[in-house]
Amino acid sequence: MSRSTSSNRGDRPDLLTAAIYVGVGALGLWAGRALEFGSLASMGPGFVPTIICFLLIGIGVWIGALGLRRPHVPIEPMKLRPILVITLAIVGFAYVAAWLGFVAATLFLIALSSLAERNVRPAETLFLAVGLSIFGALVFVVGLGVQVKLLPF
Amino acid sequence: MEFIDLLALGFGAALTPENLFFCLLGALLGTFIGVLPGIGPTTTIAVLLPITFFLPPLGGIIMLAGIYYGAQYGGSTTAILVNLPGEASTVVTAIDGYKMAQKGRAGAALAIAALGSFFAGTVATFALAIAGPTLSGFALSFGPAEYVALMIFGLLAATILARGPVLKAIGMILIGLLLGTVGTDLSTGASRLTFGSIQLYDGIDFIVIAIGLFGFSEIIENLEKTGSSGVKVAKLTRLWPTREDFKRAWPAVLRGTGVGTFLGILPGGGATLASFSAYSLEKRVSKRPDEFGEGAVEGVAGPEAANNAGAQSSFIPLLTLGIPSNNMMAMMLSAFVIHGLTPGPQILQSQPQFFWGLVASMWIGNAMLLVINLPLIGLWVRLLTIPYRLLYPAILLFCCVGVYSLNNRIFDVALAAGFGLIGYLFRKAKCEPGPLLLGFVLGPLLETNLRRALLISQGDASVFIERPISLILLCATALLLLMMILPNFRKSREEAFKGEEV
Amino acid sequence: MKKTLAISVVALLAATGTAQAEWPTDRPIELIVAFAPGGGTDIMLRTLAPYLENILGAEIPVLNRPGASGEIAYTALAQSNPDGYTLSSLNTPGFLTLRIGRELGFDPAAICPIARIVEDPGALIVQASSPYQTMEELVAYAKANPGAVSMGTTGVGTDEHLAMLQLEEAAGIDITAVPFAGANEAKTALLGGHVTAIGLNVGEYSIADQNSLKAIGQFAEERSLLAPDLLTAKEQGFDVIQSSERGLATRCDVPEDIRAKLSDAVDQALASPEFLEQAKQQALPLSYLSGAEWVEQMPGRLERYTEIFSLIEAGR
Repeated sequence: MSRSTSSNRGDRPDLLTAAIYVGVGALGLWAGRALEFGSLASMGPGFVPTIICFLLIGIGVWIGALGLRRPHVPIEPMKLRPILVITLAIVGFAYVAAWLGFVAATLFLIALSSLAERNVRPAETLFLAVGLSIFGALVFVVGLGVQVKLLPF
Repeated sequence: MEFIDLLALGFGAALTPENLFFCLLGALLGTFIGVLPGIGPTTTIAVLLPITFFLPPLGGIIMLAGIYYGAQYGGSTTAILVNLPGEASTVVTAIDGYKMAQKGRAGAALAIAALGSFFAGTVATFALAIAGPTLSGFALSFGPAEYVALMIFGLLAATILARGPVLKAIGMILIGLLLGTVGTDLSTGASRLTFGSIQLYDGIDFIVIAIGLFGFSEIIENLEKTGSSGVKVAKLTRLWPTREDFKRAWPAVLRGTGVGTFLGILPGGGATLASFSAYSLEKRVSKRPDEFGEGAVEGVAGPEAANNAGAQSSFIPLLTLGIPSNNMMAMMLSAFVIHGLTPGPQILQSQPQFFWGLVASMWIGNAMLLVINLPLIGLWVRLLTIPYRLLYPAILLFCCVGVYSLNNRIFDVALAAGFGLIGYLFRKAKCEPGPLLLGFVLGPLLETNLRRALLISQGDASVFIERPISLILLCATALLLLMMILPNFRKSREEAFKGEEV
Repeated sequence: MKKTLAISVVALLAATGTAQAEWPTDRPIELIVAFAPGGGTDIMLRTLAPYLENILGAEIPVLNRPGASGEIAYTALAQSNPDGYTLSSLNTPGFLTLRIGRELGFDPAAICPIARIVEDPGALIVQASSPYQTMEELVAYAKANPGAVSMGTTGVGTDEHLAMLQLEEAAGIDITAVPFAGANEAKTALLGGHVTAIGLNVGEYSIADQNSLKAIGQFAEERSLLAPDLLTAKEQGFDVIQSSERGLATRCDVPEDIRAKLSDAVDQALASPEFLEQAKQQALPLSYLSGAEWVEQMPGRLERYTEIFSLIEAGR
């Protein structure tokens, strides 16, 4: 979408917004294609989602059109490392918690998430991981009765 | 006056050492779970309900009520300190509260929030005592058509919430509405937009979206921008609000209390709308609307007062009509019935000490919360001096546990991580996630009521303009839309022209 | 294909999970309620749960998973591990009518009742100040204005909905069904005058505020003990029989001994004088049937409900 404009034109965040809105709208229409639309008096399950999706696509196109005419604004630079590390840490936490219990999951989460930036301080991380897993085990599992096993066995 | 006698009766019942203890216990527990993101009062009350079975009825219910409003206090703490709204009502508190905290004014924000909440709680408690029965009659006049109009008005007003262009905010609301339709359709049982996933059968939980969009993406963005040194929090200048803060906050608290008390009465979504509406109202009436989103004290005071007032006044329909206005109140209704009490008009006659005892305990509980929370502010603020490299793993852990505990399944956590990525994209696209959450919360209400209204009228859309309350709300909506779109149009055209000249 | 995969994953989970010998004390037994808190089913099970906890020595948290006439809860039960740590409420007619003309997210044959606890006849409720104080008056108005009478139900195929369909059939009228998420929401709409009538069970009605609500007929063969003065629909000339049954269920592949223990526990709880006292206070029309006896009745009822459904489909 942004390729068609010269580089000193186009509000990139707005164009990204337009792409998200149109994309989500289209995805919604596709996912809900089999839902019955119904009538005004007796709306089917597809009535409201379909209307929302069309509105969303419309607004996306509108924002995109305005964004193209605006002067160039770049998207802030992205760094891959924190995105990957934090996402992996979160998802990994859930898997480890389900299989090996809360303590292992906490140690995993803290250790992995500390890698999100370069200067890792191993001693400090270890200390934090142990402290938080004890605190978390007491507060969440023992105190609030979150249903997850504490240890792998 | 009869009212004074009854209130005296209530205080007599609430001030026994036993009931004071339950009140304190509930308030403490509520504050505590409110501070922990993801673990909401509904879950806690569901867990504790069987325990209260063995307590005396009044004591048990006083404790449950304490958890409910205590959680409202606690929830704002995490919203302000680390930009983590634990439930819908604190989403807006996070907007300006978090900015205040970054500017070294966390203490002021917390204190204003606590004092505003106390004031609002007091007013709403007395509203419940004096005008409860009258007010609840009004709530009943809200049928499906009125709700549709109210929801549309509320959603549109929410676009004021976001900084930046109105169009983007409307788009975010639409995405929220769409997310709200995911899951099983209530009236036909058809599964919608679930991509065949059985885990999405029940829809998406609010916490999953809130923690993904706010918690996770905030952490990713902070790490990306500044590494583990985190956001620079300005040095704490003073712990307490300045005289200027008070001067700006108190009218906001008054307005927020009014909005909250009123909307809290409406069954279904009223209390959620309260804090959003209060924020929009403050931004509208303010002489300094630019400061909103940058740490305006009114942006904390108004919504905080509104959400606490709404929490209290949502007891009105329950106690006077036996109608629960939200999930929490439905849980309370179960608690009442399990104790052999049926809330409703009869309870005022047959067991006045019960009704008035609960009302009195709410005021006492609010006072206790103030006493608990004010000294804690110093402690909370010190939390911000912890280096970010130590703080973010802890926040991550709390978020993960909160999401996991919803249904004890991996899927929710993975989904929240997905919303973290989406939230990150939104940040890059400069879209504010607040309106999305409101759309998500109100969407299902809007849809079911829209369908109901047209079902009852047999497809005749004129119901929305024939009924006076709905007509008024729709006119207000149209006016609001005009006010927002006109200047926006002009501005974007100007910008486009400027672009042409360069 | 997907289902077999899901089943094998579940089997794997169960195999690697905790040893079953410890049932039920090593972790809580989740009790899923298919309706919102505050409704008849919710209250019945929340009252019962502490007794079961005592008898089994286990923790039994109650979780509400309302929606889609119970389908959400039954699907959750069908997806749980077959280890006896998940129970669900089971309500007819919802459980039976769900499968009529609709594809389900679960297999009804995989869900086995433990016991029926309550059978509560339906009742037709209007505002106390309603212009229609008998079923005859309501029917006469509906006849003159087809579709104008709206009735709040708690979803498609629930007992109120079926009763409404039978009434439409018996009286030759057309009523608009308006689905709500629970009896409380429907009650609110009725009090506000947004729907003409709602259906409640007699038990629910007898503890509701009778100054604002009025029952104008019950859908039972004989008048319920809880409402001896309320005319049945039959007495008013309309052949409408509809009750709601509420009980407990679990997955059929839960080990036999665990299911036996569960049903023994329910037996014991229902026999306890304290429970009986509480049930009386909450107007629960207790009517125990063992799981096996209940299952036996189901095909007959299903047949009748299918008939009711098809009559209406044909009428459109």
